[in-house]
Amino acid sequence: MNTSLKVEGLTVEFAGVDGDVTVVENVSFSIKPGEILGLVGESGCGKSVTSLSIIGLLPDAGRVSSGAIRFEGHDLLKLSGEEMRKLRGNRISMVFQEPLASLNPLFTVGEQIREVIALHKGGSSESVRRKGIDLLEKVGIPMPEKVYGSYPHSLSGGMRQRVMIAIALACRPGLVIADEPTTALDVTIQAQILELMRTLVRESGASILFITHDLGVIAEMADRVAVMYAGQIVEEGDVYSLFERPLHPYTQGLLKSTVRIHDVSDELDSIPGTVPTPKEMPGGRCRFADRCSSASGRCFQEEPSLVVVGDRSVRCLNISQGEETV
Amino acid sequence: MKKFAKLLFRSKTGTLGFLLTILIVVLAIFAPQIAPNDPNKINAVHLLKPPVWEEGGSTRFLLGTDNLGRDLLSRIIHGSRVSLLVGFFSVVVAGVIGSFLGLMAGFFGGIVDSAIMRLSDAFLSIPRVLLALVVLSVMSPGMLTLIFVIGVTNWVVYARLIRSEVLVIRQLDYIKAAYIARCSNSRIIFRHILPNVFSSIIVVSTLSVAQSIILEASMSFLGLGIQPPTVSWGGILADGRNYLASNWWIATFPGIGITISVVGIMFLGNWLRDVLDPKNQGIL
Amino acid sequence: MKEYLCRRILQIIPVLFIISFAVFVLIYVAGDPVAMMLPSDATDADRAVLRTALGLDRPFLEQYGIFLSNMMKGNLGRSFRYREDALGIVFERLPATLELASFSMLLAVVIGIPFGIWSAKARNSFMDIFITGVSVLGRAMPSFWLGIMLILFLAVKNPLFPVSGRGGLEHLILPGFTLAFGIAAQITPLVRSSMLEILQQDYIRTARSKGLAERVVIYKHAFRNALVPVVAIMAVQIPGLIGGALITETVFSWPGLGQLVIQAIYGLDMAIVQAAVLVIALVTIFFSLLADVLYCLIDPRIQQR
Repeated sequence: MNTSLKVEGLTVEFAGVDGDVTVVENVSFSIKPGEILGLVGESGCGKSVTSLSIIGLLPDAGRVSSGAIRFEGHDLLKLSGEEMRKLRGNRISMVFQEPLASLNPLFTVGEQIREVIALHKGGSSESVRRKGIDLLEKVGIPMPEKVYGSYPHSLSGGMRQRVMIAIALACRPGLVIADEPTTALDVTIQAQILELMRTLVRESGASILFITHDLGVIAEMADRVAVMYAGQIVEEGDVYSLFERPLHPYTQGLLKSTVRIHDVSDELDSIPGTVPTPKEMPGGRCRFADRCSSASGRCFQEEPSLVVVGDRSVRCLNISQGEETV
Repeated sequence: MKKFAKLLFRSKTGTLGFLLTILIVVLAIFAPQIAPNDPNKINAVHLLKPPVWEEGGSTRFLLGTDNLGRDLLSRIIHGSRVSLLVGFFSVVVAGVIGSFLGLMAGFFGGIVDSAIMRLSDAFLSIPRVLLALVVLSVMSPGMLTLIFVIGVTNWVVYARLIRSEVLVIRQLDYIKAAYIARCSNSRIIFRHILPNVFSSIIVVSTLSVAQSIILEASMSFLGLGIQPPTVSWGGILADGRNYLASNWWIATFPGIGITISVVGIMFLGNWLRDVLDPKNQGIL
Repeated sequence: MKEYLCRRILQIIPVLFIISFAVFVLIYVAGDPVAMMLPSDATDADRAVLRTALGLDRPFLEQYGIFLSNMMKGNLGRSFRYREDALGIVFERLPATLELASFSMLLAVVIGIPFGIWSAKARNSFMDIFITGVSVLGRAMPSFWLGIMLILFLAVKNPLFPVSGRGGLEHLILPGFTLAFGIAAQITPLVRSSMLEILQQDYIRTARSKGLAERVVIYKHAFRNALVPVVAIMAVQIPGLIGGALITETVFSWPGLGQLVIQAIYGLDMAIVQAAVLVIALVTIFFSLLADVLYCLIDPRIQQR
């Protein structure tokens, strides 16, 4: 099996006051075992919704209307609630953005780790406790025994996120979904946490779906990148070549608007215009056309599909070589 | 005005509360005109008559009569006067005392503040009922006493409200500027403190009126509140208690009256709180 | 934790002083205790002698001092009516009130919390609206009226329960429920809104992402957190509970402090009123403190302060 996770044609809708809104449309990608796939895009592009769909934690208003998510021989979308629960925390786990808000303030760190181990792996209370303390040590927490008995509010932001990672890795999952795990942290701590995630996950052979809006983090962490815009994937490929030679105009815009140290200029480049809201999503044409500097007339009349170009996939009418994939 | 009505009708409970409150107020104001009989008229012939829908009842006394032949419906209608008067004015008393103490505490700080805070702790740590009972025990009972007593049990919430607003205001730069420009304290009070606290006071007061009505009824029930011949709901209930076995209506209907009034005022208060939330300031 | 307790106890001391002072002023104002203690045919000379003996001719503050020292020794005067030590009589009646109050609080919690959770889970359904409606009624109904209605339907018309008095469990049910209902009516909406808010929190999402069963997510994670504001509010409700108990006792002729105080007020037996007020105030403060401690225990974040 050379794919750990395979998302095929995922489409997610949200029930709204004036009807349903499609937030994620026809998204497909795959992750190999041990690979880190970065999912990049602005707020609202659908990346978090995609991740929640994989782990099955969409809010009540959300609904997967079509697609398949293949993982370890199952189609996750076809599993019952009970079967999905067995996988959560166990084979698929998630690390969230705000570590203080994501840990229950009334329970000790130890209890919150113990929970997930006892649920999926079982064992005597002593062995579960030992496993928990070892985990804390592994994620680089000093005095793990003491921290095991502490409450979340007495830890720093970086420590809390380490705890979250410990919880996510406790049952040695095959897939870890990290949704903006370092966005809420200090920049100096960020680097440490990213390093930690990279080493630990590599070690365990798990794959990571790493979601962020920060290209710098992607450059550091990801093996492959998928760029999302307005609910669709617009470009996907190897991280080095994508950064070196972005094909899609949106990706190009994103990279240009990232400030680099040696690029001292007067103005910040930005992509003109704003992302269309899910409700006003233009149909029958390229969603990025309004903001695209290289848009042609055709872009306003035809919907581009994802096309393979070498080792890249791109959704752009102006990049015409290669076969259609989606 | 129209905006107000539009806002109101959006909320079902708010509308209901508003209508019930208006109903009670109208009943209270026009009691002599609305009540079918004289609430104090003793009818020796019609003692303990049941409500109209029971055997032995009559349309003359829709809800029946009590042990002195007095029309229960008329007594209940008249009882609303007392409840509203005491409810409303006790809140005024509480508001005045509380606001004054809150201003003192906020403005002067230091020992004055500590003393007033300790005083408010003392008031909060004993049951309001007990406090009312005890003060009523040494003063001669009556409506004015009751208004004063119930008001005195409730001042703390106003004091805290005003005090915290004063503390906030004191920090603001433009107040310090006004101070320097020798604006008098009362100017500061009226122009800066009151407008900010106004909506909170309205909401708190509405709910306080509801509580006061219940407290008044309780005191009158115990015989320490409104004294006969003035008609009060609590008083009717107390009378009715002695005739519970065979003449259930005397004790039942006044309680329904109290409950309905309080529900109405509570709904109105809740609606006001939702609407006067600072986030909605633009609407009004 | 210890510092918190110490701080709270220190806060209580001035409060106790204020209350004792108020009680003292009360008696001072209430009229001439001497006239009440002597038979009506006593001469002025007799009264003067008693007045001096009781220290009633001393200055106000000195009298207060005497009062305080007496209070510390447990001497709060003699009951005019019972011809016994007032404090003793109050202590005799105290257990009955405590029994009623604790039972009612327990009942209120047992009724209020499950209904609150139910209405949160069944949000906006018919059951939710029904429960909310009933709690509105519970807060609007005067408790003494509820008591009378319960007596009417469950003791008079259908003699399922005794009408009054204290005895076994069957005597406790009606007054207990009367008192509990009003409090449960406060607890239920609070639990409901607390649960609804908590269920939106990130840590609930984390709990679910661990694969925990929904039952565990709700009863272990959400509920514990929702309880925190509920306990905080309950601490504030304790004076109301005691006050309600006082009134409920009169409705059910429950032989507790409530009945005692009211009869004492009617009979102008100020020694009893004085003693009862002090004891009730102390009891209320004590239980409020207990509730505060409980709150501290539940929420580890508080201990930081």
